[in-house]
Amino acid sequence: MKDDKPVGASRRSFIASALAGGASLATAAGTRRAHAADDPLITETQDWNRYLGDGVDAAPYGMPSGFEADVVRRDVAWLTADPVSSVNFTPLYALDGIITPNGLCFERHHAGVALIDPADHRLMIHGLVDTPLVFTLADLKRFPRENRVYFLECAANSGMEWRGAQLNGCQFTHGMLHCVMYTGVPLRTLLDEAGVKTSGKWLLAEGADASAMTRSIPIEKAMDDCLVAFAMNGEALRAEQGYPIRLCVPGWEGNMWVKWLRRLEVGDQPWAQREETSKYTDLLENGIARRHTFQMDVKSVITSPSPQAPVAHGSGPLVITGLAWTGGGTIKRVDVSIDGGRNWRTARLDGPSLPKALHRFYLDIDWDGSELLLQSRAIDDAGYIQPTKDELRAARGVNSIYHNNGIQTWQVRQDGVVENVEVS
Amino acid sequence: MSKSLEYAAALAFVAGVIFLPQRAAADAAHGEKIFARCKACHAVGEGAKNRAGPQLNGIFGRPAGSVEDYRYSKAMTEAGAQGLVWNGDTLAAYLAAPKNFVKGNKMAFPGLKKPKDVEDLLEWLKTESGGSAEASENVASPSRSSGSEGADRASTAAPAASKNRPAHGIYNLGRRATEAEVAAWDIDVRADGTGLPVGRGNVMDGEELFTEHCAACHGDFGEGTGRWPVLAGGQGTLTDERPVKTIGSYWPYLSTVYDYVRRAMPFGNARALSDDDVYAITAYLLYLNDVVTEDDFELSNENFEEIRLPNEANFKPDDRLSEPEYAEKAEPCMSDCKPGPVVVDMRAAVLDVTPDADNGEDVGAGSVD
Repeated sequence: MKDDKPVGASRRSFIASALAGGASLATAAGTRRAHAADDPLITETQDWNRYLGDGVDAAPYGMPSGFEADVVRRDVAWLTADPVSSVNFTPLYALDGIITPNGLCFERHHAGVALIDPADHRLMIHGLVDTPLVFTLADLKRFPRENRVYFLECAANSGMEWRGAQLNGCQFTHGMLHCVMYTGVPLRTLLDEAGVKTSGKWLLAEGADASAMTRSIPIEKAMDDCLVAFAMNGEALRAEQGYPIRLCVPGWEGNMWVKWLRRLEVGDQPWAQREETSKYTDLLENGIARRHTFQMDVKSVITSPSPQAPVAHGSGPLVITGLAWTGGGTIKRVDVSIDGGRNWRTARLDGPSLPKALHRFYLDIDWDGSELLLQSRAIDDAGYIQPTKDELRAARGVNSIYHNNGIQTWQVRQDGVVENVEVS
Repeated sequence: MSKSLEYAAALAFVAGVIFLPQRAAADAAHGEKIFARCKACHAVGEGAKNRAGPQLNGIFGRPAGSVEDYRYSKAMTEAGAQGLVWNGDTLAAYLAAPKNFVKGNKMAFPGLKKPKDVEDLLEWLKTESGGSAEASENVASPSRSSGSEGADRASTAAPAASKNRPAHGIYNLGRRATEAEVAAWDIDVRADGTGLPVGRGNVMDGEELFTEHCAACHGDFGEGTGRWPVLAGGQGTLTDERPVKTIGSYWPYLSTVYDYVRRAMPFGNARALSDDDVYAITAYLLYLNDVVTEDDFELSNENFEEIRLPNEANFKPDDRLSEPEYAEKAEPCMSDCKPGPVVVDMRAAVLDVTPDADNGEDVGAGSVD
């Protein structure tokens, strides 16, 4: 096979066939196992074992194998008026570990991707400071820098699920989420360079794109762990993630992580910008709305099995895996239920447990082939427990849009097909 | 430029900064106290020997890097070779920012921030070291030949750094923003009206502008076309099953309208409207939302703060952690947590609004805007 197009058809037809003739998944696996015959993939010399592949000059910037062509960001067209001011979703179902590859980090922008020559970019700090300053990117790269791994979650992640199970796949229900290693200058260092006056209590961060995105940030947070980042996962920020620089506001709403960051104004009050009044305020059932709900909540989701990652191998050993995170710090524990929340087992956390980063968990089971109702429940180091969706609805109603961190249920049928469901 | 001339130029700058403002007489007694911070590494006076740093006897008038038996950094040796001689001015510059004045030297001391401290210290050291500051004002007295590779390298580092002595902050990176630059970017308007430009616009002009620039997406009356934002109406719907959140029904402050239209609208042609245009459009939006009722109403920076939006009072701070599901923090149930087998009561596939699922034109509930 010189052609590196994937053998399988699109995910669309895969899911379709899985849903239609669902039994075929388990049957195929069973059939293969029953065959004791010699495997021609072993007994016959294959093309890739005989013919030469591409040279080192074929792909100056490497891309994933063509067999992974289905692992892409996807959008939900009906969510927004126009793809220029919209969102797409990280394919969490196909990823492992805690780091999201740069090209798969979900995108959310309000006026398209700004394209800025780094030589033309400026960052201004002004307002209640001793010296208003302008930095070039070259200036920023002369400050001591730090490397930190953080998750970024849109406050509206899972927002389409308030009224019940709606989107069939963790890519869509939980995919406004990514986690990368950022390299940048602590925001505190830059603010100290300008000298924040004692009357400075809030910071306004502004982007250089055509939406001139703005958010108010308390100065305590700005001085604590915020970062002005110019690299992600070791390379320059992707254009859609704010190249050449973005703000990192660890553990807080993704909307505050202003991309294409060009201006930081120190003031003594919040600015009541669009994204902190008409948006990113959480309407409760009684008509009152919460504002400044900055911190992201303790949350988890099983990424496989999930609707886009059905079980293809039948009964026997099954890896249940997922992600957990909290804006408050680290995840202490994740419990997994296979019977819709009646009984729970503590999952195994594997990989680094870093504050305000994704945590990877596994529960390795011997599946008996019967129906499963999979749930995960995260507990953070402050002792907060991920609530059920019904608990959240009881407290808030269904019109909050933001901060839905309720426990997700996936139904795994006997044939391995998985569906987003709600249980009682 | 020769090495010694560069030092001279650097010193002219430094000396201006350090010595022009100070006028109180130098205080040698205070200088002795300052020296307490130096003597862990430096000895001075009779019988002084090299320690972590070189002994300081005869420091005034001495070429840099010239004390016998002391192992200097390459940088300091080279600086001396290029003509750096210690005197009142060079020592003052060095002590103010050791790392910058001779880049790569090994003195760990971060420097004395106050010019007065430097002056007092040198006053005391001048006597104690047995030297005379006056004797060695001559900066340019190269003791060795110049022109080696190493010297060239040093010449780019040390004087450049000394010219950039901190004007602000710690690293002295970046430059001061000009007033015009700040004014060009600082367009935010706060809820209390701070930041509003001088200007005015009325409902009728606003209607014309809105029809031209806004109605294609937002509809002639702010009702919204397709999934573009609805801007008017919806009052009294916040507790409904499907709230309609508009400027009139939800937004707490009018300042947000002005600020947002000015920074981001019209979509795809931001910053194209004049300040007066934005006042006019804001006035028209108030009219569409029945906040003002006269079609000759004029909005300006002067009457702006008199306008209150109806929903201002209905916002409260974040109190999520007081909700029962968080407040308890109890150890969660691990077994038999529900009385009987769990029942599925809702399925995503029934709704069938997931992209790529052969679902035609179906759309789900909710939106992202």
